[in-house]
Amino acid sequence: MDKLLDLWLASGIYNLQGGQLIMLVVGLLLLYLAINKKFEPLLLVPIGFGGILANIPEAGLAFSAVENALHFAEPEIMANLASALGISSTDPHAISEAYHSSNASTHQAVVLAAQDGGYNNGMLYNFYNVAIASGAAPLIIFMGVGAMTDFGPLLANPKTLFLGAAAQFGIFATVLGAVGLTALGVMDFSIQDAAAIGIIGGADGPTAIYVASLLSPHLLGAIAVAAYSYMALVPLIQPPIMRALTTEAERKITMVQLRQVSKIEKILFPVVLLLLVAMLLPDAAPLLGMFCFGNLLRECGVVDRLSDTAQNALINIVTIFLGLSVGSKLSADKFLDLTTLGILVLGIVAFCIGTAMGVLMAKLMNKLEGGNSINPLIGSAGVSAVPMAARVSNKLGLEANPQNFLLMHAMGPNVAGVIGSAVAAGVMIKFVG
Amino acid sequence: MEESLISQGLSLMVFGMGFVFVFLTLLVGVTMLMSKLVVKFEPVAVVPPKKSRRNVAPAVAAKDDELVAVITAAVHKYRS
Repeated sequence: MDKLLDLWLASGIYNLQGGQLIMLVVGLLLLYLAINKKFEPLLLVPIGFGGILANIPEAGLAFSAVENALHFAEPEIMANLASALGISSTDPHAISEAYHSSNASTHQAVVLAAQDGGYNNGMLYNFYNVAIASGAAPLIIFMGVGAMTDFGPLLANPKTLFLGAAAQFGIFATVLGAVGLTALGVMDFSIQDAAAIGIIGGADGPTAIYVASLLSPHLLGAIAVAAYSYMALVPLIQPPIMRALTTEAERKITMVQLRQVSKIEKILFPVVLLLLVAMLLPDAAPLLGMFCFGNLLRECGVVDRLSDTAQNALINIVTIFLGLSVGSKLSADKFLDLTTLGILVLGIVAFCIGTAMGVLMAKLMNKLEGGNSINPLIGSAGVSAVPMAARVSNKLGLEANPQNFLLMHAMGPNVAGVIGSAVAAGVMIKFVG
Repeated sequence: MEESLISQGLSLMVFGMGFVFVFLTLLVGVTMLMSKLVVKFEPVAVVPPKKSRRNVAPAVAAKDDELVAVITAAVHKYRS
């Protein structure tokens, strides 16, 4: 009978907390959206599943050894931890507080004491440390994205870089919005939090995760989920804004075919970009450095095996661990509060402003060039979201004029958006990191 | 405190946006310069396509004739 009682006391049903139940449902919802609605399935399947794993009661997959020890609170282990910290109280809350305010060497001692007691870091916690806290996974993904990117359309028409720049306005406007909400007392964001939330407007998953992991790791789960959800929603969010800001005549503008770009230009471009980053903004070097490296692998033509690995096998492996690690940040105590709602709202605002500014910039450029050479629809592709945003531009162009193929023209601003948001990320890290 | 947070946000916006534009403007300039230089110093790459075009052109023309014939036949059949 005692054994039966033990089994019951250790069961998930007995230990399930309300918050965990809600997060399990959120995880299932993400899985549903990914599988049934095809919302960025490559990321939302691992994220949703990771979220479910992180919220399994008693398993502690997303917690460190110390957090797990504190959760079970066995008296002799609590005493060991307290002595490692040099405090007399064996109350888990007191230990937790002392642990978080202790210095590095004491920190280490407490971790060892917890591990002596037989507690270990959860699997997802380890994944998070290796993949995200180290900064490795987003950067390796960025290398893969670089290896998949064709700069041809951008090189054929370098002026489209301005569209990629204009669309980054959404990022900075949202920072201001987050700070404003804090000043009004609605939310409580620091300037670092605000910067990390703004990056959602860059519509670039790896960049958002990288910046969030550096500036405000406690918001990472919500920021990553918001960034990837909105990227999936690009075909729904962008068209109304694009239609509202352009006239029928503007949407009908056909653009002249792009010139042929030579192989040497394609090889030189990543090197030129890297040198410019090195000279002007070393803080963007991790992101753009890996991006340029991946692109050089693709274009140089002598390391096809490496290029193939970077854009297929490696990016897939890393995506699995990145997704599960982001999922580990979906634990109830960190995700279920008003802040997450604020992030979701601010994120979509960032996205809309970015789209609008891109279109307006394209209209301005069109006016300056005589009014009949640049279709403003390609401006919205300046938010990254490669290649979805470019496809949306193409689709709206075809709606206005069935002979109007904007896809290649929109790819220019699209990859410019990737560079733009990486530069914006570098500026954020420089100023508030 | 709150005032300074807003001013921090404002300065981040002005400097950040300014920097993004300056950087990408420079990139536009450098890229155009690079393209010009590449086109200028790359006569080798221009020659081979000319040669190959000469060889390929008759074949393409022949194919076109064939294509026109096929299409004409198809149109006639469709109309009748």
